[in-house]
Amino acid sequence: MTIPAIPPLVIYAALLVGFVIVNLVLAHAIGPRKKTPVKQMPYESGMDPVGDARQPFNVRFYLVAILFLVFDVELLFLYPWAVSAYAPLGSKDTPAILPPDLSMPVFVVMNIFMATLVIAYIYAWRKGVFQWR
Amino acid sequence: MPEISQNLFEIIVTFLTITLVVNAILGICSYLIMLERKLSAWMQDRVGPNRTGPWGLLQPIADGAKFLLKEEVIPDHCNKVLFVIAPTISVFTTLLAFAIVPYGPVGEMPIEWLRFIIAPNVDIGMVFIFAVTSLAVYGIILGGWASNNKYSALGSLRASAQVVSYEIPLGLSVVGIALLAGTLNLEKIMAQQATAGFWGWNFWLQPLACLIFFTSALAESNRLPFDLSECEQELVGGFHTEYSALKFGLFFLGEYTHVITSAFLLVILFFGGWQLPWIATPESSFALAWLVKMLVLMTKVLLVIVVVMLLRWTIPRFRFDQLMGLAWKVLIPLSIANMVAVMFVRQFNWNPWWLPAISLALFIAAGVIGATTTRSEISRRPLATAKLASAH
Repeated sequence: MTIPAIPPLVIYAALLVGFVIVNLVLAHAIGPRKKTPVKQMPYESGMDPVGDARQPFNVRFYLVAILFLVFDVELLFLYPWAVSAYAPLGSKDTPAILPPDLSMPVFVVMNIFMATLVIAYIYAWRKGVFQWR
Repeated sequence: MPEISQNLFEIIVTFLTITLVVNAILGICSYLIMLERKLSAWMQDRVGPNRTGPWGLLQPIADGAKFLLKEEVIPDHCNKVLFVIAPTISVFTTLLAFAIVPYGPVGEMPIEWLRFIIAPNVDIGMVFIFAVTSLAVYGIILGGWASNNKYSALGSLRASAQVVSYEIPLGLSVVGIALLAGTLNLEKIMAQQATAGFWGWNFWLQPLACLIFFTSALAESNRLPFDLSECEQELVGGFHTEYSALKFGLFFLGEYTHVITSAFLLVILFFGGWQLPWIATPESSFALAWLVKMLVLMTKVLLVIVVVMLLRWTIPRFRFDQLMGLAWKVLIPLSIANMVAVMFVRQFNWNPWWLPAISLALFIAAGVIGATTTRSEISRRPLATAKLASAH
């Protein structure tokens, strides 16, 4: 008998949310509260804060986020292929999910896919995206 | 009727397992903090916590009580809703990822309700874990943003860039395992290594992937030497500067749970799970074999965690450009090359024992290229002492 995977996950997630909320409410109820003007200030090592903390930041962080998106989506495409392309190492009885006659075409396509990615990666490197100084 | 009672039984077992796991994680986390403090003290020739109870053994309990009893400061300038949500997300995602991590010999079921995993048979396995743990970055970003504090803003900015960057080598290093094992299901990967024996551990075929996975997992959980987001000397506490009492505790719990999950993953993916020659093999059929297997797994995990803790006081913290450089210029090309190597070996049915040789070659090549080409501004500048010496 195989046990279904989704119900335990849902129960676990619901219990976790409950656990965190109960903890937060409990801490809120038990903890003391003595507000002072200084305590309610932003902490800046004893200096009076100047200006707002929400300032524009370096565009490099944005570039990294964009590149991350490219690579992460690429990873998502890799996983189904990686799981189905070859039979488990050392096992004779479980064949690969991919039909044998598709093996070579898929291999060629994957090589083209990786080559495109590597070209894009080299382009980004030459453009200085990874230059942080 | 038996249908209903079966479902009821499943639900009860699930509740039992969840209660067990969550309590175990909470307990283990608090005692790991204690262990870390003792280890740090030992490495730095101090005594460490020793006032509460014998050898300070009650320290974690005192800490836990303090998290609840301390004053919760929510400064006026914060965005209150996001401020509360941030640690919730952080702890929720890291704990949720543990749902599909097996913590014992899954599939043996010595006692009917002993399942060794919360949600069995999740075939997407690693993808689920990556998906859930990468949500933790929202906790960090929201925490830093809601705090409206310059330290927090800088810390969360750094942390998000770091977590996002290291996720790619982390994911790529697992692709090689998936190519070898033909599955992403952690239980199946563990079982395959168990039947393959000591030399069937994925570590032997994929040493480079193991190193990349370990490094990236360290960076993902914001541990030293990658704790740029919360380095005390520059940023006070980083994204959790403004947090106090239980909300800080939740962030801390999330971080430690992440370390534990990463250690479990490392052991399950690369070091054979519960398998250990002569002690715990699939053939071992003595009574309580399941307990021995579980203990072997736990011991391996504990060893990994101790290594993580020792690394903390061994390697100095990276600079931010080094950190990003390590991810984008070293780990990503290496993991892509490693993955392509596995692809070729599998496609043309070459001997898999070429893989460790390729790993070693890649490792050495990376070292040589790194040593001959990378020259940062600082290392090119002549040292002040060298100038003095030449003046004399």
